[in-house]
Amino acid sequence: MRIRCPYCGERGLEEFTYRGDATVTRPETLDQTAEAAWVDYVYLRDNPAGPHREHWYHGAGCHAWLVVTRDVRTHEILGVELAGGPA
Amino acid sequence: MSETLTARPALAGIALPGRHGTGNGAPGVTLRERTDLGVVAVMARKGQGEALRMAVASAYRATLPDTARYLAGQTVGFVGTGPGQWLAVSASLGGGALAVDLTAKLAGLASVSDQGDGRAVIRIAGPRARDVLAKGLPIDLHPSVFAPGSAATSIISLMGVTLWQVDETPAYDLVVFRSLAVSFWSWLTDSAAEYGYEVVPATN
Ligand SMILES: [Zn+2]
Repeated sequence: MRIRCPYCGERGLEEFTYRGDATVTRPETLDQTAEAAWVDYVYLRDNPAGPHREHWYHGAGCHAWLVVTRDVRTHEILGVELAGGPA
Repeated sequence: MSETLTARPALAGIALPGRHGTGNGAPGVTLRERTDLGVVAVMARKGQGEALRMAVASAYRATLPDTARYLAGQTVGFVGTGPGQWLAVSASLGGGALAVDLTAKLAGLASVSDQGDGRAVIRIAGPRARDVLAKGLPIDLHPSVFAPGSAATSIISLMGVTLWQVDETPAYDLVVFRSLAVSFWSWLTDSAAEYGYEVVPATN
C-alpha cells in the first residue's frame, strides 16, 4: 500500500503509522453529562465495509498527521488531506 | 577537575580520506563530511506563516519553500521538511551563530532550535551517486522527477534522512542524526564500494 502525502508525494507504507478512526469527535466537556458521548468517542467504532476515514502519521517523512480515506475492502486510497488543514 | 570539550566532526577517524572500494580508476562517487555548518530547525508559529516568509525574505534574501525543496539565500539556505517546518543550513554562520541569528530575526514568528551538534551532513557527488542512494532510499531520484533544489525526508536502512540535490553532477547533501552517523556511513560506503569511492577531507 502506498499513500500520496500532500506534502511529500507518494510514499510506502513503512513511512507511516496508523493512528485510528478519523470520524469520531472528542466531546467538548469532561462533565458527567457527557459520559455517554465519551464512551462513544473512546470505545465504540463503526466497522464499515467500504470507504473509511482514518488518521495516519507520516513519522518518517514530514511528520504531518493525515486524514486518509481508504476502502478497507480493497485498500484503494480515495483521498489524502492534512489533518490540520492547509499549512 | 574540569574537562574541556572540543567540537569534533561526527565522522572524525571514521571517514578516512583516500580511494576506496572496487578498482583504482576514477571513483563512481566522492564522499565528504560537511563540518562546521549551521543547521537549525525552524517551525512557523501559529498564524505567522506569512509574516515569517516576509521576515526571512528581508533578513536573508531567501524564499521559504512551501514544498520539499531547498532554496538557497545569500548566506542561509532553507529546506522544506514538513508543513510549516524547515531546516536552515549555512556554511558561513557555523557553530551556534546561525541559531542565534535566526532567533533574533524571527522572534515571535517561528520556533528556532539549533541542530548543528545533533546532525551530521554528508555530501555525495559523482556519476554513480543515484545508484549508491537507490539501494536504500525509497524515493525516485531520476532527473525527470528529482532535480537540483528537490528535497525529501525519508528513510535509508531504517535511518531517517533529509536530503536535497545540490547540482547536476549529481551531488546531494544528506542529513542524518549524528548518533546514527557511523551506522549511516557504514551503509553508504558499503553501497558505494562496487563503484569505487573517494573520501575527500571534511570541510564546510
Ligand atoms: Zn509527508
